[in-house]
Amino acid sequence: MQSYRIMVIDDEKIVGDMAKMSLEQEGYVVETFLNAEPALARLKEQKFDVVVTDYKMKGIDGMEVLRTVKGLYPETKVIMITAFANLDTAIEALRGDVHDFFPKPVKIKELKASIRRALGRQ
Amino acid sequence: MSKGLVGRWKSMLGLSKERAGQDLSFELLFRSFREVIESNNRALEIITDMGEKLGGDYLFDIIYIKSAYSKLSDAVKRSMESFDALTRKKHLELHGVFDRIDQQIRQMVYSLHPARDEMVVFYEDITWDMARKVGGKNASLAELKNHLALRVPDAFVITTHAFDELITHNSLDTLIQSLENDAAVSESALTELRNLIMHAEIPPDLDAAIDSGIEKIKARCGERCFLAVRSSAEEEDGEFSFAGQFETVLNVPLEGKAVKDASKKVIASLFSPHSVAYQRQHGYHVGKLKMAVGCMVMVDAVSSGVMYSTAPNGDRDMLLINATWGLGKTVVEGQTDGDLYKVKKSTVPEIIEMKQGRKESMIVNLKEGGTDAVRTPEGMRGEPCLKRETALELSRLGVTLEKHSKRPQDIEWAVDKDERIYLLQSRPLRIQQDKEGEPGLSVPAKDSKHALMNNKGIAVQKGVGIGRVFILRQLDELENVPKGSVLVSKYDSSNFVRIMPYLSAIITDVGTPTSHMASLCREFRVPTIVNAADATQVLSHGQEVTVTVGDEENTTVYEGIVKELAGFVDAHSMQMEDIYEFRKKRYILRYISPLNLIDPFIDNFTTEGCKTLHDVLRFIHEKSVMELVDRARYGNALIKKHAAVKLDLPIPAGIIVIDIGGGLNLDARIDHASFEQLSSAPLRAIIKGMLYPGIWHADAVSLRVNDFLSSMMRMPDITSDVSDYVGYNVAVVSKEYVNLSLKFGYHFTMIDSYCSETARNNHIYFRFVGGATDITKRSRRIQLIADILKEYGFNLNTKGDLLIARLANVRKDDMEDMLDQMGRLIAYTRQLDAVLHDDSAVVRYAKNFLEGNYEF
Repeated sequence: MQSYRIMVIDDEKIVGDMAKMSLEQEGYVVETFLNAEPALARLKEQKFDVVVTDYKMKGIDGMEVLRTVKGLYPETKVIMITAFANLDTAIEALRGDVHDFFPKPVKIKELKASIRRALGRQ
Repeated sequence: MSKGLVGRWKSMLGLSKERAGQDLSFELLFRSFREVIESNNRALEIITDMGEKLGGDYLFDIIYIKSAYSKLSDAVKRSMESFDALTRKKHLELHGVFDRIDQQIRQMVYSLHPARDEMVVFYEDITWDMARKVGGKNASLAELKNHLALRVPDAFVITTHAFDELITHNSLDTLIQSLENDAAVSESALTELRNLIMHAEIPPDLDAAIDSGIEKIKARCGERCFLAVRSSAEEEDGEFSFAGQFETVLNVPLEGKAVKDASKKVIASLFSPHSVAYQRQHGYHVGKLKMAVGCMVMVDAVSSGVMYSTAPNGDRDMLLINATWGLGKTVVEGQTDGDLYKVKKSTVPEIIEMKQGRKESMIVNLKEGGTDAVRTPEGMRGEPCLKRETALELSRLGVTLEKHSKRPQDIEWAVDKDERIYLLQSRPLRIQQDKEGEPGLSVPAKDSKHALMNNKGIAVQKGVGIGRVFILRQLDELENVPKGSVLVSKYDSSNFVRIMPYLSAIITDVGTPTSHMASLCREFRVPTIVNAADATQVLSHGQEVTVTVGDEENTTVYEGIVKELAGFVDAHSMQMEDIYEFRKKRYILRYISPLNLIDPFIDNFTTEGCKTLHDVLRFIHEKSVMELVDRARYGNALIKKHAAVKLDLPIPAGIIVIDIGGGLNLDARIDHASFEQLSSAPLRAIIKGMLYPGIWHADAVSLRVNDFLSSMMRMPDITSDVSDYVGYNVAVVSKEYVNLSLKFGYHFTMIDSYCSETARNNHIYFRFVGGATDITKRSRRIQLIADILKEYGFNLNTKGDLLIARLANVRKDDMEDMLDQMGRLIAYTRQLDAVLHDDSAVVRYAKNFLEGNYEF
C-alpha cells in the first residue's frame, strides 16, 4: 500500500521534529522544512497529500504557501498552525480554502485526527 | 536538636521574646494573604499548563514558552509583593533566590549563552546547555548527580574548550583538519598525531586550572585519593555510545603531571585507528569531533560491574547485572567470568537466577597509583561478589535510571566496603524492538468488564503502571512503600515526591488534578488518577494490578498483570525523548516544576532551599499561613478595634468572633450571634462538630490529687501568653477562613483553616498544646490525637505535649467533614487526659472516637 505524504513547514525545528516523529508513527511519509522556499521547490517535484504549515514565517508566509499549493495541486489539503491566533487570521485562512486551522500549542492527537479527516480515512 | 529548630518551636509556643509589631491591621493582613493565595494559584495553573504542553502531547514552539513564562514570572513576582506586605519584608532574601532562578530560565528561553569558556568545570556546576562543553558522558552523569541526587563520585571536567586551546596552542589544528578530507589516513599519520598530543605543551591557564581542580579534590576527598581519567566525547544528543572507543586511565595519583599526562592520553585516543574508523562509520567528520576529559575520584571498589536495566533480548521484565571482584574493567570490556544476576524487576525486584562466575583474576588499585590484574584469592573465587541486598538495591537503581531516562540503560557501577553503590556511567542501551510490543502513543482500550475500577476519578498523567497495591494509611508509612508499587491513598500529598520516581502508579480517593502532587506526577510521568472516591476500599493491599490512564482520560484498574498492556509501561512519549530539541526545550521545567521544599519541619525549608519556582511558591504559601497563624494569636489586642461578637451556643464554649469579611450574617450591629448566623464555612463546620450530640461532656471528670497539683505547677507557662481576654476564645473569620484559638482548662488548641471551592487553597493547620495532669498523661493525650489525625491523613509533628498537624488540598465538602471531625475532637479531648490511665486507653479511646463512640 502506498503511504500518504505529509509536508510540515515551520521555522522552529522542534515543531517539525515532533510532528515528524508523531506522524511517522501513523505510517505517513513525512518531510519537514524550516522555511517555505525549499518546501515549495520540493512541492514542484513531488505531490504531497497534506501540507501542514506555520502561518507566520519570515519570507514566504503561510497564506502564500496555501495559494501556491492550491495552484499546483487543488486536491492537496492544507492545515495551518500559528502561535498568533486571532479571529482575523483564522477567517482569512479559512476563506483561502484551508482544511483546518490550529492555534499553537497544537494537541498532536487533534492534528492527527484532522489529517485523517483530510485524507478521508475516518 | 539544632538551635534553629529549638527557636522555631519556641516561637510556635509563643515563648519567643521577639514579637512582630502589631501595626498591620487584620484587613490589610488578610487582603495580602488573599493576594498571595490568588497569585500562587495563577502561577501553579501556568506551571501545570506548561507541564502539559511540554509533555510530548503538543506541538509547541518557543513563542508559547516565552509567553507562558512571562505570565508565570509575573504571577510569582506579584505573589512576592503581597508576601512582602504580609510579612512586612521578613523574607527579602527570597527576591535574590527568585532572581537567580529567573535568570537561569531566561537564559534558556532567550538562548542567552553566557560567555562560558571555562576550561575546568566541576560536576555540580554543569548545567543543561553544557553538554557540548563537557561531553555526553559527563553531562549525563552530572545530571544524575545534580537532579536525581544519585551517588556519583566527585569529579571535574577538562572541557572541549580546553581541548581547543591545547590543539591550537601546539599548532595541531591544521594537521587535525586535514584528517577530514583524507579518507584513507595512514596509521602512521595517526600515530604521529597521537605522539604530538602526548608531548604537547599545556597552555599556562589550562595548566593552572587543572592544578586548582586537583587542589579542590584534595580538599574535599583528602590527599590519598586517586582519579579515574576518562573520555567524554562531545556529542549532540547521545545518539552513539562510542562504547570502548577511547582510553580510560585508572587510579591516577592526585598530582599535576600524572593527571595531565593521563588527560593527554585520553585526548590522543580520539585519533586511534579504531576510533577513527568508528567515527567514519557513524557519519562523524573525523577531525571535527572534540574530546572532553572527566577526572573522577576513584571508588575503592570491593566489587563492580555492569548492569543492563532491561535484558538485551528486549524482555522488559528482566534486568541483568554482571559483577566481579575489584574494579569492573574485565566485565566492562567483556573479558567476563563474573557473576551474572538475572533480576525480575516488575514489582519488588527479585533475583531469578544467579550464575556464579569463576572470577579467577581481579583488577585492583595499586597503592602508588595504577592498577594491576592479580589472581583472585582462593576464598573469594567461589563467593558471590554481591550481597543479595546490594544486588537488589542495585536493581532498584537500574529501574530508577531507566524510568528517569525513559529508555533502557547500560550502567557501570561500583560498590565500596561500606556497601555504598556508586554510579560511574549510565547511557542508553540499544535493544531490539519487539515488533508486537512496539510502543505507540496511545494506550489501547481493553475489555473493561473484568476491571476492578473503571472510569472513576480524574486522569492526571496518562500511561500504564503495573505493580502491587500499597495502601497508604499514614504518611509516615511512605518509608515502607516498596519501589514499583501502585500507591493508593485517601489523600494526595506533595510528600509523595520522595518516592515518586519509584512508583508505578498513584491513585487517590480525593484530590485534584491541579495540586502540587499532580504537577509532580506529570513531571515524573507517573500514571496517576485522583479523586477516585473509594480506591482505598476497592483495592486491597498487596494485590497485583494494572493501571491504565488513557488518551480519552479513561481510567481503568485491572486485577493482575495484563500482558497486552505490559508493553506500554513507560512507552508513552518515549520517542519524543529522543528528539534533542524537545529535551532541550523541556529542560526549563527543571527550574520550574520540581518541588524540593516538602516538609516545613526539615532543615532545607528555607529560602536557600528553594531551587525552583515551585519551591518559591511553596515557601511563600507556608510562611504566609504561619504569618496568619502568628498574628491571629496575638490578635486579642486588636479586638476592641473590630466588630467582636459573642457566639451564643448551647455549650459553654465562650467564643468571640471577629469578622473580617463575610464570616457572619448579621442584620444589625449587635454583640452576639447564633450558630445560624455563622456564614464562615470553616467555623461553621467546626462548631457543628462541637455541637454533635453527646460529644461535649458536661461533667468535668474528676482530677486526681496529683493531677491537680501538677496543673497548678504548670499553669503559668501555659497561660502567660495565651489571652488577655480571659475566659474567652477567639475566632477570626471570613467567609472562607477561620483562625480559631481555644483555651479549655489548660489545653490550648488552634485551628487555622481556609475552606473554599478551590481545593488547592484549602488547608487545615491544627495545633494543640496541653497541660493539666502529669507528663505521662499529657503525652498519652497527644498520642491519642496524633493517632486519630494520622488516620485522617494529616501530616504530623509532635514534640512533648505540642502537636502540629496539617492537611491541605482537599475539596470543600471533604474539608467540611474534616472540620466537623476536628470540632468533635476538640470537644472530645477537652477533658480526656484525666481518663487516660494507661497506654492501652489511648488505643481504646482513639478507636472509640473513630467509630463514633464518644462515651468515656
